[in-house]
Amino acid sequence: MNHKSVFRAIAALAMTCVGFTVAVRADETCNSPYIAKLIKGQEDYVYVWTLGVEGLGDGSDKLVTVDVNPKSKSYGKVLHSVSTGARAEAHHMGFTDDRRRIWAGGLSENRIWVFDIATDPARPKLVRTIGDLGDKSGFLGPHTYYALPGRMFVQALSNTKDKGGVTGMVLYNNEGKHLGSYAMPTEGGGDGYGYDLAVNPKKNVLLTSSFTGYANYMRSLGELIKDGEAMKKFGNTMVLWDLKAIKPTKVLAVPGAPLEIRWSLNPKDNWAITAAALTSKLWLVKQDAKGEWIAKEVGTIGDPSQIPLPVDISITRDGKGLWVNTFMDGKTRYFDLSNPEAPKQTYEKATGKQVNMISQSWDGKRVYITSSLLANWDKGGADNEQFLRGFAWNGKELAQKFEVDFTKEKLGRAHHMKLGSKALRSAAAGG
Amino acid sequence: MSAPRGIQRAGRAIALLTALACPPISSAHQGAPLAEPEFIPPAPGTYTLHRIMPAPEGRVLGIDGHPQPLSRYTRDQITLLGFIYTTCTDPEGCPLAYRVFDALKEAIAATPSLHGKVRFVTLSFDPARDSPDVMRRYAGSRVAEKDGGLRWYFLTTGSARELMPLVEGFGQDIRITFDRSGARPRRELSHVLKVFLIDRMSDVREIYTSTFLYPRLVLNDIETLLMEDALKQSRAPVKK
Repeated sequence: MNHKSVFRAIAALAMTCVGFTVAVRADETCNSPYIAKLIKGQEDYVYVWTLGVEGLGDGSDKLVTVDVNPKSKSYGKVLHSVSTGARAEAHHMGFTDDRRRIWAGGLSENRIWVFDIATDPARPKLVRTIGDLGDKSGFLGPHTYYALPGRMFVQALSNTKDKGGVTGMVLYNNEGKHLGSYAMPTEGGGDGYGYDLAVNPKKNVLLTSSFTGYANYMRSLGELIKDGEAMKKFGNTMVLWDLKAIKPTKVLAVPGAPLEIRWSLNPKDNWAITAAALTSKLWLVKQDAKGEWIAKEVGTIGDPSQIPLPVDISITRDGKGLWVNTFMDGKTRYFDLSNPEAPKQTYEKATGKQVNMISQSWDGKRVYITSSLLANWDKGGADNEQFLRGFAWNGKELAQKFEVDFTKEKLGRAHHMKLGSKALRSAAAGG
Repeated sequence: MSAPRGIQRAGRAIALLTALACPPISSAHQGAPLAEPEFIPPAPGTYTLHRIMPAPEGRVLGIDGHPQPLSRYTRDQITLLGFIYTTCTDPEGCPLAYRVFDALKEAIAATPSLHGKVRFVTLSFDPARDSPDVMRRYAGSRVAEKDGGLRWYFLTTGSARELMPLVEGFGQDIRITFDRSGARPRRELSHVLKVFLIDRMSDVREIYTSTFLYPRLVLNDIETLLMEDALKQSRAPVKK
């Protein structure tokens, strides 16, 4: 079965509110609000969390540093890579609140790798491995890494018992000490599934979304879509939590695997937006006139019947625009969010044969795109491009400025991105 | 024993930068009324405050100039500790913390059940400028013990070398920025406001940033710690 037919099959299932996919948290505008040292000028590096590929290089997952400063002699080149020595379905990563370290994990294991990026931002160093997530929580597949002051919230995708989608969140301190575990709600409409988390401290709100478990995301896509029962096991909810107490307060029905959550960074706003992967819909989470939190479908991404598969979104710093990457058609779309109740697509461009993550600089002038979704779900043959591509955005057109071919460089599947800067070298490092 | 080279370098850098950058002491740190949270905080005792990390140890100087271990100020009572530098003018930084501490002091004074159970610590991260004398002037009348029995300690360190392990241990980041609003760019020290709630065992139990630093919320957390203590005592075996 080719990819097109695979996704057409999934389209039918999408209409019955089951979902699938995996995407990514990324970019300078989508960090935790507790991360203080945002890069508001020209970034120097893009860190790419890269899935190892058997027979390619050392075959291990690795953190790759790419020089993205146009003034640098090595612009668009790989500066460094640090290997984990394991192949564990590298997926997402996140900064600690002091931005000195990156936590990165794989979906096939319960290990979290911690990299020091402050001592030498160009050359991250693996300084710690955290391996107790499963033992402490019973959860599996650490996915989202979200900084709280002195702590890191980790959203898992699965559990060690049946490897299904019922899962939860784990709280660590910045040194990797387990502080607490929190199950996703399975009552009051909750399906127990998890995917992303993001907070709005002003409202004391933590918002989570939902995906599926190990048993599904580690299967080959061709097998999975033939398994009707398995395809029912995807998330259809978002959950509001009391952030301070870390207790669920309301379950919202958001069918079709709502994935990345982006709160508007405009201080006057108190809404978040997400994309439901299978239904190809944009959903707004906001308070109604009575102050009740609601979820509202507000837009469509491409032609849902073709399953464009929105896999990552990136919001502009003023909350007025949204980039959406769709994996299947390899397109990057821009939506005008001036009215978040009615997002309007104003631009689209095919940026690869398969595209997954999208990250933008704080000023919105630079956009970075990578290619890999999951090892077993990426396209095959010539469509299996693996890259980091850098673009300039002038408000009208995306112009490609460089490309790093991750296969040619023997690195692997390019996945999640975070931005880095020489200026963030720590004082203790003598900088 | 000497400090690691990295810390020595950092210490020298901070000493130099503070000497270059610092405007006069911000005197009153008064400002607009404190905002109320846009939410109803959870009631005391209905949530858990995790033991995030032990408060770091190190040598500090009180306003009398005598060295003491920091643990002298972080044990046996609930402690609210904030880093400041006396020339800080960022309204979302030291001045905000100061106003919150002031509001809390009044609230604690008005709550007899809290008397003698809470202390405040204001610790400078600018030892080059903030000597014990400077801290004494900065503190003004706040160091006086009032009827609420709450003591407010104003501490500094003897050098950047002594400061750095404390800054690092608390995860209180300091960075160098440039104020370009004037005719010539001016180097400034800046920091992300963090206030630390420390329990009687010297464990950090909450870290507030400007987005969560509301007196009401802090009071709830103090009450939560006191309820936790009371519960522990009620469960402790009775000695005969």
